[in-house]
Amino acid sequence: MDEPIVLVGRTTPNPGPQTPDPGAAEPLLTLTGVSKRFGGALALDDVGFDLLPGEIHGLIGENGAGKSTLMKILSGVHSPDEGEIALRGETVRFGSPAEAKARGIGMIYQELSVMPTLTVAENVYLGRQPTNRAGLVDWKRMRQRSAAALRELGITIDVTERLGKLSLGQQQLVEIGRVVFSGADVIVLDEPTSALSGPEAERLFAVIRGLRARGKSLIFISHFLEDVLAVADRVTVLKNARHVATMPSQGVTKHRLIELMIGRDATSLAEASEGGTTLPPPVNSAPVLELTGLSLTGQFADVGLTVRAGEIVGVFGFLGAGMTEVARTLFGCLRPLTGTMRLNGRVIRPASPMAATRLGIAYLTENRRATLFPRHEVYKNITLAHLNRLVGPVFRHPSEIAVAGSLVNRTGVRPANPTMRAGHLSGGNQQKVVLAKWLTRQPKLLILNEPTRGMDVGAKREVLDLIKELRAEGVAILLLSTEPETVIAESDRILVMSKGRITKEFANERVSKDQLMEFA
Amino acid sequence: MAQGIPQPIGAPAGERRASGDLGNRVLRLASRNARLIAPLTTLIALFVFFSLVTDVFLSTRNFQNIVSQIGPVAVAACGITFVLLCAEIDLSIASVATFTGVLSAYIFGNSWEMFGITLNLGVWGVLVAAIVAAGIGLLNGFFVAYVGIPSFMMTLAMLTIAAGMAEYVTKGRILPAASVPGELQDLASAGNRFLGIPYIGIVALAVLIVSDVVLSYTKFGRYVYMTGGNREAAEMSGVNTRRVVMLSLMVAGFTAGLAGMLFTGRLHNANPAGGTELLIQTIAAVVLGGTSLFGGEGGIKNTFIGLLIFGILSNGLNLIEGLSIHFKDALEGIILVGALLLNVLALRLERVQTRAD
Repeated sequence: MDEPIVLVGRTTPNPGPQTPDPGAAEPLLTLTGVSKRFGGALALDDVGFDLLPGEIHGLIGENGAGKSTLMKILSGVHSPDEGEIALRGETVRFGSPAEAKARGIGMIYQELSVMPTLTVAENVYLGRQPTNRAGLVDWKRMRQRSAAALRELGITIDVTERLGKLSLGQQQLVEIGRVVFSGADVIVLDEPTSALSGPEAERLFAVIRGLRARGKSLIFISHFLEDVLAVADRVTVLKNARHVATMPSQGVTKHRLIELMIGRDATSLAEASEGGTTLPPPVNSAPVLELTGLSLTGQFADVGLTVRAGEIVGVFGFLGAGMTEVARTLFGCLRPLTGTMRLNGRVIRPASPMAATRLGIAYLTENRRATLFPRHEVYKNITLAHLNRLVGPVFRHPSEIAVAGSLVNRTGVRPANPTMRAGHLSGGNQQKVVLAKWLTRQPKLLILNEPTRGMDVGAKREVLDLIKELRAEGVAILLLSTEPETVIAESDRILVMSKGRITKEFANERVSKDQLMEFA
Repeated sequence: MAQGIPQPIGAPAGERRASGDLGNRVLRLASRNARLIAPLTTLIALFVFFSLVTDVFLSTRNFQNIVSQIGPVAVAACGITFVLLCAEIDLSIASVATFTGVLSAYIFGNSWEMFGITLNLGVWGVLVAAIVAAGIGLLNGFFVAYVGIPSFMMTLAMLTIAAGMAEYVTKGRILPAASVPGELQDLASAGNRFLGIPYIGIVALAVLIVSDVVLSYTKFGRYVYMTGGNREAAEMSGVNTRRVVMLSLMVAGFTAGLAGMLFTGRLHNANPAGGTELLIQTIAAVVLGGTSLFGGEGGIKNTFIGLLIFGILSNGLNLIEGLSIHFKDALEGIILVGALLLNVLALRLERVQTRAD
């Protein structure tokens, strides 16, 4: 075992005017020895964390490192199995999110909890509209006060505008305004920049620096290490449910953070990907999918890629990198603004998923809810995409069930009962059902978006083996994932996407997780 | 699924265990068919009740009566089943039925001069009226599926339009028996029977069977279920969900038209202000049968049971001596609430069992 590297901020006094003097201040919030277990798995293992008044504290770690569990404990969603939380020196125990909120802890989640149909002012005052003497909502006061509150934070937005009409970045600022206005001293931002453009992120940074100057403390959780380094005073790294390091962000490089995040210890499960893998020599078969200069405003720009028959092209990127949007464009859900898509050399412009399906494109979405019919039988789930070819216009159920049954066996759905309701299956098996749907007819191009997310190791292996089998049969496969391990382990070539653009291609070379993350 | 349920250690062996297994199996069977079990229970309960309480209920004559009463509703209910299964609604069926009935009579009773030829469609006007009804449904469907007007609002507007058209065609008058095609009157009359079943019952049964075959054994039927079950997923599986919704509303318009013409035949006149209760009756029967208002679940078998419940209930209450006619409607409503309660409870049982699985 490596020695954990612990650099405590307190030992390095920082006399900058904006940054707090950690030596002098008592921590506003301290977590000591916090552990949390879900079933058999340790989600947090003896984690310590402290937040100073007037500090921006970055919190980083891979998926599953324990960041979200830590935040859920802090916000009262979960209570810790061991360890304690101290707020202003006083031990606290939050029984519910409302209690945490009442104690001044404000959460800003990635999926904003704002009301898009209400105005900005109403959102700022959500749940506590001021009333006049008659007991009616005092609109004038609400508008004036909310405008003033936002202005104080350096946010200039017309408060009478409906929130849904604003950009995501502006909505986020309103949410921050609401949280501050409701009296939060500790503000937790979960992946705040993942969906923001460069200038929007800059404006966000300005606002949160302003909050720091007003003595608020912020926890900034992000995959985007540049953003963390740009804005945070200190950074805490979590890995495999443990605290790895806390250090001042000054002088730390992105590379160093990646090293701390993924570690070098050989006991890790994802050993192969951490050490890196050598990608195989390029496949020379005919290109099946060719994208050139594909752009869609606000989603992705100038995306060019080729997937050949019998090739798995992996695309790695964080949430909001635009991978899903590219996939949806290929599948006919979105229309590209510019650029061309070719399938087997022919230019295509699928206008709907139906059209894309007819062209031989199959798409396994990242969101199982959008692809599964939980209350219908497994066989009905499987045969839907190519019902016509399978059973003709008037069909008999036994033959349909037989077709589905063979696919149930091929994909390893358990229990292997095609007449069971799909909703009764476990998540991993549901995913296999959805995959089976696209195998009733061999697709030319198979797009897989997070095909193994949330699956246990065994199911993951089965699905990945099946994908390899399809590759051997000449299917062109585009594999999109936010998990670097999956992409590294399964791809023939790897592309990295970041903020809507392809930033790097790896082919026929050694590639490791930290390299991928460097470009994401 | 069935295997691997661990028996608790020290569970009593032999008899009690076997009965537990049987109980389990019954529970499982019931939960898997929860959408049919509850309505069936209601149906049997009502049947037994009215058989015991009244003398006339249990007679061939009375059943013939029920069948001819429920016939038009049954036809319209088939279309509504399609629409509810794809998680939409059609509020316009009653006035589409009225308009279609009136239109068939109007065409029957009038001739047109065209290019020097006198055109009298006669009974073939029925065909024209049926096509018009399907066209109205198609129009509903187009605006709902392709333009994006919620079906509730679109069909509410169509309700008004069709009612207005019926008024317009007849100038507000009731068209007498002479202008209702005799064939329709023969078809709908309770007295005309084949093997003891009124013609109208045979027509209704035929429509029910065709609808069941379409829903259970054709691609389109499957698409209806899947679209209602999860529209986004259906779309992402390459189903043209818009077309499915549009065609379902077209089917509803068509069956409403047929129902309307049967109505005029039974009443021996075409009343532009009549038939408004058809909407409530139809939707009540379909939902009573266990078809979900939220789509994807249920079907013609459910609708069939729902129709029988509805028919037996309104018929049986009329037969109870001493029951005030003024209280009958309220009582009918109360019993319907009871039946719906049973449906909800049965589905809860299913959910509990699901968790146990």
